[in-house]
Amino acid sequence: MRAKNWTKAVLAACLLVLVCSPAWAQKIKIAVAAPLTGPAASYGENIKSGVETKVEEINAAGGINGVMVEVAYFDELCEPREAAVVAPRIVGDKDIVGVVGHVCSSAHLAALPTYVRMGMPVISPTATNVTISQQNKDNQGRVWSFRNVYLDDYQGYFLAHYVKEILGLERIAVFYENNDYGIGLKNAFVAEAKNVGLAIVGEEGYVKGATDFAPQLTRLRGGNPDGLFISGYYNEGALIAAQAENLGMNVAKFGADGLDNVDYINLGGAAANNTYMTVPFLAEAAPEQAQDFIKKFEEKYQRDLDWMSANAYDAAGKFAAAVAAVGTDRTAIRDYLAGINSMENAYIGITGATYFSEIGDPEKSAFVKMVKDGAFTAAPKQMQ
Amino acid sequence: MLEQQLINGLTLGLIYALIAVGYTMVYGVIQLINFAHGEIYMLGAFFCVTFITAAGLPFYAAILMAILCCMLCGILLDIIAYRPLRKAPRLAALITAIGMSIFLQNVALIIWGSRSRPFPQSALPPFFREKALVIGDVSLTWLQLFIFAVAIIMMIGLYLTINKTRIGTAMRALAQNKTAASLMGINVNYVISFTFALGSAMGAVAGILVSVYYNTLYPTMGYTAGVKAFAAAVLGGIGSVPGAMVGGVVLGVAEALGAGYVSSLYRDGVAYAVMIAVIIFRPSGILGRSVVDKA
Repeated sequence: MRAKNWTKAVLAACLLVLVCSPAWAQKIKIAVAAPLTGPAASYGENIKSGVETKVEEINAAGGINGVMVEVAYFDELCEPREAAVVAPRIVGDKDIVGVVGHVCSSAHLAALPTYVRMGMPVISPTATNVTISQQNKDNQGRVWSFRNVYLDDYQGYFLAHYVKEILGLERIAVFYENNDYGIGLKNAFVAEAKNVGLAIVGEEGYVKGATDFAPQLTRLRGGNPDGLFISGYYNEGALIAAQAENLGMNVAKFGADGLDNVDYINLGGAAANNTYMTVPFLAEAAPEQAQDFIKKFEEKYQRDLDWMSANAYDAAGKFAAAVAAVGTDRTAIRDYLAGINSMENAYIGITGATYFSEIGDPEKSAFVKMVKDGAFTAAPKQMQ
Repeated sequence: MLEQQLINGLTLGLIYALIAVGYTMVYGVIQLINFAHGEIYMLGAFFCVTFITAAGLPFYAAILMAILCCMLCGILLDIIAYRPLRKAPRLAALITAIGMSIFLQNVALIIWGSRSRPFPQSALPPFFREKALVIGDVSLTWLQLFIFAVAIIMMIGLYLTINKTRIGTAMRALAQNKTAASLMGINVNYVISFTFALGSAMGAVAGILVSVYYNTLYPTMGYTAGVKAFAAAVLGGIGSVPGAMVGGVVLGVAEALGAGYVSSLYRDGVAYAVMIAVIIFRPSGILGRSVVDKA
């Protein structure tokens, strides 16, 4: 009897020590889950440079409460299969406080169940597919997956209005990448196009990494379009624009954030001119505190700051703010992020003020930028 | 629209053909499917751009240098990866080839980074982007004509090399019977090295033409092109050089017509469907000889 009491006392003491021990672990790690190799590696590089810059900044200022922050990179090739493999490994590393990722909506959807079930807060800087928000709650109704980027249906809706009302286009040819991003965006655009009175002259799909679009363009040219909607990413988008010009199609091009990268201009050449795109981040419209960062980033990486890097920078910043406020417990971090839910307590980053809806989607506005004389510039007319 | 689709398909097809002859020659001589051939094609494009940007060479000189480098890579590939396995089962060499393909891809990723890069436009002759011919809706650029011309000249040159020169005779002898050829005093390793060099030169030219045509090059570009060219080689009858040329063009045109008339999402599907149909109904390929069983 006495022995049992003694055991109980020790157990209680242990528990007390556990509970009262400071919340600071030896290490604070932020995971980056992105394609670091393979065909989509350049998107991963964007995310990496954003997070890297933020973490360097934090560490240069002495870390979070004296603890240096590390970044753990997980390569998932933008493939759902790989993402599903990577997610449990991330969850298994107890030093990781949160995930910045995934880049591609398809990969994010595949990894999501693991994060939700195992309780890992995650902020995607880029995944814009609509269906994600339906799957990011656990059994108790807690949201684990947040986004730092607006959704495809919003961009598609916005674009339909913009090209009709501001650009005055009439007949639209549509190119879409055959994945969650391309299809979601295209569907939202096409649905709203009917409401605003745009005619769709044809829809053509392609797979990531395709290089030859001449046959599809030849077919679309027959419909005599005055606008070309590219629902995909900049690598293929630039080729579509260039080949359209080769075939003598003199049309306005437009798309969403997937096109926004300086490589669109590098690869597209003169054909990139007269392209409009919605972006969550516009350097010209960025708040004042961002200008310093923009300059530093461009010096360091020798390229324009793209929205992916900017969003990733802010996503890492949100985790840092959470850890600084509530420690390294994943549930506490989740609660902190879920608490950023109105304009009053919005997180002020370089992409402006962001806060999450109750399903983890952000409230943000869209900007339009365009390519003019071989350079990005803010579109002359914005729409609110 | 049909004429334009045929031009689209022909441009693509001639490029496939250039890569496919490299596959088919190596297969003809040592019965190896060199899956790393697509990477030689990729290296050709990167060498050319590097010679232009880093060494400041003019366009045509950079092409020549890139061809030489790729020939060297092809020879080294054979010496390092395949020669030690010459007497091993064929499967071992095939797996090594796939391994080399992945290895070269990642070497390129390390050296040149993962981003797609444009072909330096300032180095190109200015007339490339101009239209050579516009009839109604059909347009043809000088660049496309340049691709046609280079591909056809290279293939005629290859045909003459194989059929009219001593080394070509040696290659054909080796393809028929390696042991007998070596007994006749043919230096087998020298001929195989020559075959790799020749195939790599064609692959390098294809890589350069593609990167100019699409104005983009990236380290993983060799994979799909390699698979397509392999399909073209099988289509034409693997081991047959004229077959690879015909196979490449047929595949390119089928793809363009498939994408233009059926559905653009099935363009790769159309290409492979054509290949499968040929394998079913004419297993030796369009121009391949039917194999007589030796036993």
